[in-house]
Amino acid sequence: MNIELNDYLFVSGLLFIIGFFGVLFRRNTLVIYMSLELMLNAVNLALVAFSRYHNSMDGNLFVFFIIAVAAAEVAVGLAIIVALYRKRQTVMVEELAELRN
Amino acid sequence: MNYNGFQELAATNQWSAIWPELSMAGIGLLVLCLDLFLPSSRKRLIPLVAIFGQLALLAVLVMGCGCATESTGPLFGGMIESGPYTPYMRAFFVLSSTLVCYLGVSYLSRQNLPRSEFYLLTIFVSGAMMLLVQSSNFVMLFVSLETVTIGFYVLVSYCRYSPFSLEAGLKYLILGALSSAILLFGIVLLYGAASNPALAQSTTDSMNFAALGKFIAATPEEPLVLVGAVLVLCGICFKIGAVPFQIWVPDVYQGAPTPVTAFLAVSSKAAGFLVLMNLVAGPFAALSKLTVPLLSAIAIITILFGNITALGQRNVKRVIGLSGIAHAGYLLVGVVAMAVGVALAPWAIIFYLFAYLFASFAVFGVMVHLAGVEDEIQEIDHYQKLAERQPFLAGVLAIGLGSLAGIPPLAGFIGKLLLFIAAFQAELYTLLGAAIIGVVISVYYYFGWMREAFFIKPALPGDEARPSYPMPGAVGIIHKLTLGLLVVITVLMGLFQRGIFGG
Repeated sequence: MNIELNDYLFVSGLLFIIGFFGVLFRRNTLVIYMSLELMLNAVNLALVAFSRYHNSMDGNLFVFFIIAVAAAEVAVGLAIIVALYRKRQTVMVEELAELRN
Repeated sequence: MNYNGFQELAATNQWSAIWPELSMAGIGLLVLCLDLFLPSSRKRLIPLVAIFGQLALLAVLVMGCGCATESTGPLFGGMIESGPYTPYMRAFFVLSSTLVCYLGVSYLSRQNLPRSEFYLLTIFVSGAMMLLVQSSNFVMLFVSLETVTIGFYVLVSYCRYSPFSLEAGLKYLILGALSSAILLFGIVLLYGAASNPALAQSTTDSMNFAALGKFIAATPEEPLVLVGAVLVLCGICFKIGAVPFQIWVPDVYQGAPTPVTAFLAVSSKAAGFLVLMNLVAGPFAALSKLTVPLLSAIAIITILFGNITALGQRNVKRVIGLSGIAHAGYLLVGVVAMAVGVALAPWAIIFYLFAYLFASFAVFGVMVHLAGVEDEIQEIDHYQKLAERQPFLAGVLAIGLGSLAGIPPLAGFIGKLLLFIAAFQAELYTLLGAAIIGVVISVYYYFGWMREAFFIKPALPGDEARPSYPMPGAVGIIHKLTLGLLVVITVLMGLFQRGIFGG
């Protein structure tokens, strides 16, 4: 059995959609954060697959930038989540919503 | 690619062409070093260095604006290309960043927070925005966009003793990261289509805007291209706060420290619009059958949503946030006109952004002065009888809000007029109608705020129970000068437009 470009793209699209609905419907901030990372990795998978099958290096290069940026984002994001946890003793989204009209 | 190819690429590395961005980075690093090495008794120098350094840069940039600047062509191997608006936008971002630092001085003096990081982040983020609006390659666009966004995550949650600021930071973080992921997926689809050797005009440099534009012009019906373009536009619409991607705006604007709210409202939105303009006029120019109806629909909903939801608000930061959504809608009308091909539209957008900058910072200057320690609780009641107690601030507030609402002799009116003329030339009558309805609605809540400041309501029986707000002392002379200057520019831009952008 041969694995084609479309198979990679299918997996990547699936991961992206799982991540997207995870962000929308999960209630735990940390799980939401994991879903975001899943979306970024779906993008990375698609980039590498396109890069390999179309013989173009740009995609592979871009992946490194995405990984670096995602690491920076995690560093800042987890710091915010930890600081908020210290204030509120919870990471659930419903209990964090105090900014209202 | 052979040796000569690399040499040709290296020859495009003209560092001198991005000297304003490098100077911003230099000022930022200087602030960082001063923070490390100065004794704590001298730390008060740091904001002065940040503000005066940027003012000097701004002076040089403004003097350079008058000279005719020719486009230098693609730089850094096609990563960056400065367009006709670049000099104005550089001045815009430096000015906005200076004013944010200035507001930060009075805000931070009231809070027990580390000081110098605020200036540092503001300056770096502004420098990244200056690169963002010039980027002509998706890699460059993504990296500078993320520099801006990650800086904003920290700035929004800067007040880390306040659960509100942290909550705003978390909301901005999740929705910002979501929009980045959507944008990225769009970029990947465009890249995948453009690098496919089986398609016509496929290119080896498929992240580049120019090469991508050629490819899209040859194959505008390719489904991957269409989906990719829609996803990229959605990602950008998140950043500018257009409906249906506006959910973060009111909460984040309310929870963020007030100077950061100003920074988000002015600079971040302007950067988003410049990117949108670059995309619509550049790689997506051949997709106007898709972009025009899509952006028109978003613009109409955005204008109506922003104005109608702002009507019932009592918190002034939320009012500013929701009315900011409406302003994004008016600007989108200009972007649609630009996609149709009206030559006036980009200049109308830039004029509007400048008018918005001066009016917004006048209003935010008043808000920062009146806010107590609990920054996120700023109600409209707070402004009661402001005209009696602090007539100067009330006057500044009236002119700022008047300009935002678009009252005739002020800059905001001319900005809206130019956008509407552009929409009229593009024959976008539905959009024009929605925008005019939006302006009429907006007058109601802007004037409601002004009425609170100027006219004394008869005391109701329940009024005694209301907490009375502490009124801060007199306005300092520097604050008066700055606010006065913003107001004077707002009035002057309304009266004399000829020659501001070379006719």
